Amino acid sequence: MAAVLGKLGDRDPRALVRRVREARADVREVRELRERVQRLEAEVQECRALNVRLAELTDVVTELLLPVASRDEERLAALLERYRTSV
Amino acid sequence: MSRVVDRARGRVETGPGPSAVRVDDDGITALSEDEAVLDVLVDERRIFSFWLHRDGEQRGREWHVGWPRTLQEFLVGTGRVAVVVHESGERVFDETVRLGGGDQPLAIVHPRTGQPLSLDKSWRRVVTFDTRTEQNIAPLMDAVQVVLDALREAGIEAFLAYGTLLGAVREGRLLGHDSDADLGYVSALSHPVDVIRESYRVQRALVDLGYRITRYSALAFKVDVEEGDGVVRGLDVFGGFLMDGHLHLMGEVREPFERSWIFPLGTTTLEGRTFPAPADPDRLLSAMYGAQWRTPDPAFHFSTPPSTYRRLNGWFRGLRVGRARWDRIYSRVLKGVPDPSPFVRWVAEREPDVASFVDLGCGRGADVLEMARRGVPSLGLDFQPRSFARAEARAEQEGLAGARFQTLNLLEMRQLLVIGAQLARLPAPRVVVARHLVDTLKRPARTRLWRLARMATVGPAGSPAGRFHVEFLAKAGDDGYAGRHRVRRRRAAMIVKEIEAAGGTVVHREDVEVSQSPDASRLCRLVVEWRQ
Repeated sequence: MAAVLGKLGDRDPRALVRRVREARADVREVRELRERVQRLEAEVQECRALNVRLAELTDVVTELLLPVASRDEERLAALLERYRTSV
Repeated sequence: MSRVVDRARGRVETGPGPSAVRVDDDGITALSEDEAVLDVLVDERRIFSFWLHRDGEQRGREWHVGWPRTLQEFLVGTGRVAVVVHESGERVFDETVRLGGGDQPLAIVHPRTGQPLSLDKSWRRVVTFDTRTEQNIAPLMDAVQVVLDALREAGIEAFLAYGTLLGAVREGRLLGHDSDADLGYVSALSHPVDVIRESYRVQRALVDLGYRITRYSALAFKVDVEEGDGVVRGLDVFGGFLMDGHLHLMGEVREPFERSWIFPLGTTTLEGRTFPAPADPDRLLSAMYGAQWRTPDPAFHFSTPPSTYRRLNGWFRGLRVGRARWDRIYSRVLKGVPDPSPFVRWVAEREPDVASFVDLGCGRGADVLEMARRGVPSLGLDFQPRSFARAEARAEQEGLAGARFQTLNLLEMRQLLVIGAQLARLPAPRVVVARHLVDTLKRPARTRLWRLARMATVGPAGSPAGRFHVEFLAKAGDDGYAGRHRVRRRRAAMIVKEIEAAGGTVVHREDVEVSQSPDASRLCRLVVEWRQ
C-alpha cells in the first residue's frame, strides 16, 4: 500500500490527495448505503406486518359485525364467546 | 472418508473416517479433516447426533463437541457409549465410560415418566420414535388420519410434510430420530391476507369439531389430538400458498414451484398406511431439505435463506414474542400459587364498590383468587395458559365460582378486540389491573394493552365504567427486585405519556419502595380513567 501511495505521490501529490479524498467519500457512501438498506429492510417488514393486521380486522368484522348490527343481545353474547374460544 | 494430515511425514493420508475419538466429561473429541455426521449411543440407544465441524470447535488438529446443555443433568454415571458414523454405521468409539464420577448406570430418561429421552436435531429433549413400539405408533397414525379428515372437512387438502413426508418417502416409516408428525397444505388462494383469513376459518372449523388449537403464526398451528393410548399429541399443520411462481410453505420454504407438483395429490405409505402426499414429493422434499434429501442426516439444520425468513416473518410471524421464555419459566421456576400481592390489597381498599375485577397478565393468578374470595367476580387473563393452571384448579377446589381464567395474547388483535368487547359487558364499575405487565412488555404490546384497558373501562365523562390500575418497576435498586420479578425498569414519565397518547387520564399516582435498602427499588402505581 505504502509503495503504491509513494508511487502515486512521486507522480503527482495533488492526484494522491484527490485519490484519498475520493476513497474517503466512497467509504462514507458505502456506510450510508448500508444504513439505508437496513432502514429499508425494517420498513419493508413494517409493511409486511400489515397483512396480519388486515386479515385480523377483516376476520373480526366479517364474523361479528352483522350480529352486532342486529342488536340481538343474547345472540351477540353467545357469538362473542364462540369467537373468543375459536381464536 | 476422512483425510488425516500426517504432519510428521508432511503428506495427507486417507483415513477410514473420524479417528482418535475420545469421550469424557467435556464431550466428544475426534480427528477428522472432512465433515462427518455422528450419532452418540448410550447403552446402544441413540441419544443425539451432530456434525463434527459445524457443531464443534477446532482445538489444534482435533474437533471438539461439548455435551449439549439439555443432556448435562443426566451425565453422571457409567455406561457404554458409542460414537457411530451415521451414514456408514461404522463405530469409531465404543467403550464403557464413567461420567461425572458416577458409578450408577447412566439413565437418560424423563425424570417423571421414566420415558427414554433423546435429543432432536435442535438438541431439544424429546421422546423420539426409535424408542416407541408399534403400539405407540398406531395411535399417532390414527391421529394423523383424524386431523387430515378434519382438515378435509374444513375444505383443506392436506398432506404429509417435512420429516413425516421424508420418513414416508425415503423409508416408509417415521424417522427414528424424529418426535412429531407434520402436515402441510397449499392454499388455492395466493395473497398473504387471504391465506391468513383462510387459516383463521380452518381454525374455527377445527374448534367446532372439538379440537384444541394452538397458533404458532398467522399461517401455522398445532392441533391437539388425544391418541388411543390417552396421550395428547400435537400435530403441526403448516400452511402454504403459491405466489409469483414460488411456493411459500411455513415454516422454511420459498422456492420456484408449480402447482402441478402439488396437485392432484398422490399418496405415500407411512408405517403401512396410505396417506396423501404432494404429486411430486421429490420436488417438495428438495425444497425442504435440498437435493440431498435421500441421504439420512439426523443432525440436519435448515439453511433457509434470509430473504425467505424475512418474508415469512414479516407476513405471518410475531404473534408469540417471548412465549418460549415464559413457557420455560412457568414450567420450571414459578410453580404453585403465591400469596396475594400488596398491590391487590391496595386496589381493593381504593375500590370498595367494585363489581367486576379483571387482572391483565395475571400470571399465577393469586390476585384473582384473592378478589374472588372477597366476593368480587374476577377474571384472570394471561397469554401463558400454564401460568394460571394451578390457580384455576384451586378455585375449583375451594368452590370459588367467581374466579375465572382465560388466555389472552395481546399480540393477536382478534383476541384483543373480542375480549375487549366482552370486558365492556361485565357489570360496572369494573376494576382492571395490570401488575408487572407494563415492565415486561415492549412498546407494541403496551399499545395493545392501553387499547384493551380503554375498551374495558371507558365511560361518559364524570362516570367512567371503571378504572385501570397499573403497577410497574420505576427504579431498579440494588435489592434484586427486578431480577426476582423478571421485569425491566420503565420510566414513569414515558408510561404516563403513552397512556395519555392513548386517551387516558392519570387520576392518581403514588410510588412505593420495595425494601429498606438505601438504594431500594421503587414501584410506580397509576390509576387511569378513560372518558368518552
